[in-house]
Amino acid sequence: MVHDTLLGGLGGNLITFERVTKEYPDGTKAVDALDLEVPAGKTMVLVGPSGCGKTTSLRMVNRLVEPTSGRILLDGKDVREGNPAHLRRGIGYVIQQTGLFPHRTIEDNIATVPVLNGQPRARARARARELLTLVGLEPSLARRYPHQLSGGQQQRVGVARALAADPPVLLMDEPFSAVDPIVRASLQDQLIALQTELHKTIVLVTHDIEEAIKVGDIVALFRPHGVLAQVGAPERLLGEPADDYVADFVGFDRGIRRLSFFPAENLALTSGPFFGGDATVAQATAGGQPWVLMTGSDGKARGWVSAATLGALPGDTPLAQVPADGFGHTFTAGTDTLRAALDAAVLSPAGEAIAVDGDGRVLGVATFDQLRTAIQAADAADTASAARARAGAGGPPA
Amino acid sequence: MSFFSYAWDWITSSANWHGSGSIPQQLVAHLGYSGLPLLIAALIGIPAGIAIGHTGRGAVVVVNVANAWRSIPTLGFLILLATLIGFSFITWLLPLVVLAVPPILVNVYEGVAGVDPGVKDAAKGVGMTGWQQVTRVEVPIALPLILVGLRTSAIFVVATATIAAYIGLGGLGRYIIDGLASDQYGPVAGGALLVVLLAVLVLAFFALLSRLVVPAGLRGQRKAE
Amino acid sequence: MMWSWIPSNGAMIWQLTRENAYLGVIPALIGLVISLPLGIIAARWRWFYPPVLTVINVIYAVPSLALFIALIPAFGLTDTTVIIALTTFSLCVIVPNVVAGLRAVPAPVRQAATAMGYGPLRRLITIELPLAAPVIIAGLRVGVVSSISMASLGQLIGVSSLGYLFIDGLQRSFPTEIYVGLVLVIALALICDLILVLVRRALTPWQPGRDRRRVVAKVPVPVAVRP
Repeated sequence: MVHDTLLGGLGGNLITFERVTKEYPDGTKAVDALDLEVPAGKTMVLVGPSGCGKTTSLRMVNRLVEPTSGRILLDGKDVREGNPAHLRRGIGYVIQQTGLFPHRTIEDNIATVPVLNGQPRARARARARELLTLVGLEPSLARRYPHQLSGGQQQRVGVARALAADPPVLLMDEPFSAVDPIVRASLQDQLIALQTELHKTIVLVTHDIEEAIKVGDIVALFRPHGVLAQVGAPERLLGEPADDYVADFVGFDRGIRRLSFFPAENLALTSGPFFGGDATVAQATAGGQPWVLMTGSDGKARGWVSAATLGALPGDTPLAQVPADGFGHTFTAGTDTLRAALDAAVLSPAGEAIAVDGDGRVLGVATFDQLRTAIQAADAADTASAARARAGAGGPPA
Repeated sequence: MSFFSYAWDWITSSANWHGSGSIPQQLVAHLGYSGLPLLIAALIGIPAGIAIGHTGRGAVVVVNVANAWRSIPTLGFLILLATLIGFSFITWLLPLVVLAVPPILVNVYEGVAGVDPGVKDAAKGVGMTGWQQVTRVEVPIALPLILVGLRTSAIFVVATATIAAYIGLGGLGRYIIDGLASDQYGPVAGGALLVVLLAVLVLAFFALLSRLVVPAGLRGQRKAE
Repeated sequence: MMWSWIPSNGAMIWQLTRENAYLGVIPALIGLVISLPLGIIAARWRWFYPPVLTVINVIYAVPSLALFIALIPAFGLTDTTVIIALTTFSLCVIVPNVVAGLRAVPAPVRQAATAMGYGPLRRLITIELPLAAPVIIAGLRVGVVSSISMASLGQLIGVSSLGYLFIDGLQRSFPTEIYVGLVLVIALALICDLILVLVRRALTPWQPGRDRRRVVAKVPVPVAVRP
């Protein structure tokens, strides 16, 4: 098992699994001597095939399942000390089936834990309505009942309910698996946005490696029967899978997917040539380029046109009248990733990616050569920083 | 003449409304002889059903009880006790309670055990104690089935109390049993009709109660099913 | 408990048992025959079912003795009265199970059958009813067990059954007779129940062998013994 410890985090590990094992009377081990650390303020994703023990591990944190041996520390204390109900009120819990109470309104569902803790109902309900906005729902839904909401809406309510008492830790068990892909993507985005605002410590279980990579700060990949295969940042698993199992699970185009972790800011650009609508065909073909980039009057890209097409037109035709042969898409120079840039280049008939600024105005283009240089530089930098992190942690673990 | 004309003639003849053994008197008595066993059966069946439904322990008992109970002939059971211990309040109260418990027990159990597992998991996960899970989540959700159990049992007890007249109990069954013994169809039909009306009234009462008591969220859910 | 009474009255006991069995099983079977078309219609045309269910709930609230009595002017103090009454009660139990069983057939299965070219009638007979069989038989079991038990009540209006042993036992203050009656009614009911379980297993080889008892309690009609 390869375990990269991470730099950063808000000061240490909030949740620690110490040689945690869950064994059933018939001898099957759901979890086998698990050692895992969840840094505070990060999203840790437990991912793996069915039956790999990820859900069992999660449910041991809030004592819905008790370990056979080993212990789990939450903020330094063994979770088994003290009353389980009290422990759970301090931990947010979101499950796949939502588990919303059908006999209560949405706002009363969200207000569950604050009311359990003794808060006056009116205040809890008011806070519930605030939380509805936080998870992207209309406050007018507060008085409705769960069965009146769609699956995606119900799941958002589930998240709001988990956040209501402002717990430092959120446990999420396949929270987005029961909705369709479009809703799922939206919920994932919402979670990422929430995290940048709230910095909760989240442990999320999923069987979907894409979800793990998208949402997780750290990914813990399980083998069948409760053994860890690799733990590390998503780009680590993509770039340096510990073994064939990890490489297979992560998927075959991991090289390209890894590029979405590298920003495109260091990508060199050629600043031209591109021509506005006023330029003529003759001017555009003067440079002998096989493909010409046309822009509109606002500076935004209109598309590529081939020299052959231009050659068939009279030289004084303004470019504004020439239809584009192809486009693909653009990438935003400051904020997009190398993967977006590469994809733009692949889709472009000219084989060059169009870089735009924040308003969509063309800044330049990147060729495959420039992309290659940038990718290799990013890869080298990433590998070096990972090696430094491992060395800083005292060498590879036993 | 038809059943209804016999019954109607007898019910509307004023002699039956006065004196001892009058219709109002037997009606009230019948309500008492039904209400008390129902109350006791509820006090036994509801907590037991909740406990078994919540913990899951003893569920096999419930299933077997349901099957066996249906096969017990009420008349035989009542007569057995009357023969063994003579006629006292135990003679009718014990069998009526014993026979009234199973519908309540089974339905309460089904209601509590049948709560969506995700909801039960969530109730535990948000930090409710066992008691809170039962009182704030499981029982409210199980309420429709609990009411069905009480309704079934109530109707059943009304009917059983009628038969208990055979071993000497008062109430509306008296008209039936005495009428059969003396070959007078009038009181037999009248008593039977009154018992039917009482049973239908109980049905209506529970329908109304259900509408008042069951939370709106559940009603909508049932319609959606 | 006077054991010797049993063999010396064996013929009578056997006769009464046969009569009780007849009065219990026949209504359940007739009830099944009537429930099937009713239930099929109610499962197919959804608007039909709620009024049917309301009627069922009201009828089932009628105490069985009262229904016997109500039928006397029309059918006399005969077997027919008891059989008609018990058939009605069996209907109340079996129809909801037919509906529930048919509705429980997964839509994808029905659609696959239609897509493969099954006409509606053939699909009903060869696919939907067999799949609904466990639930329907569960209802039939309740119907048979309740009917056998209720048939003994017919003795109060003079219709011969094992109930005779109760009444005679009471009049003679003879507990033995009452015990015998009780044991026989219960045994008869449970044997018929067991037979139906075996029938179900034979008819549905694709099902796991264990008893699906929970299905019975989930049906909306209050399932109860009627005295």
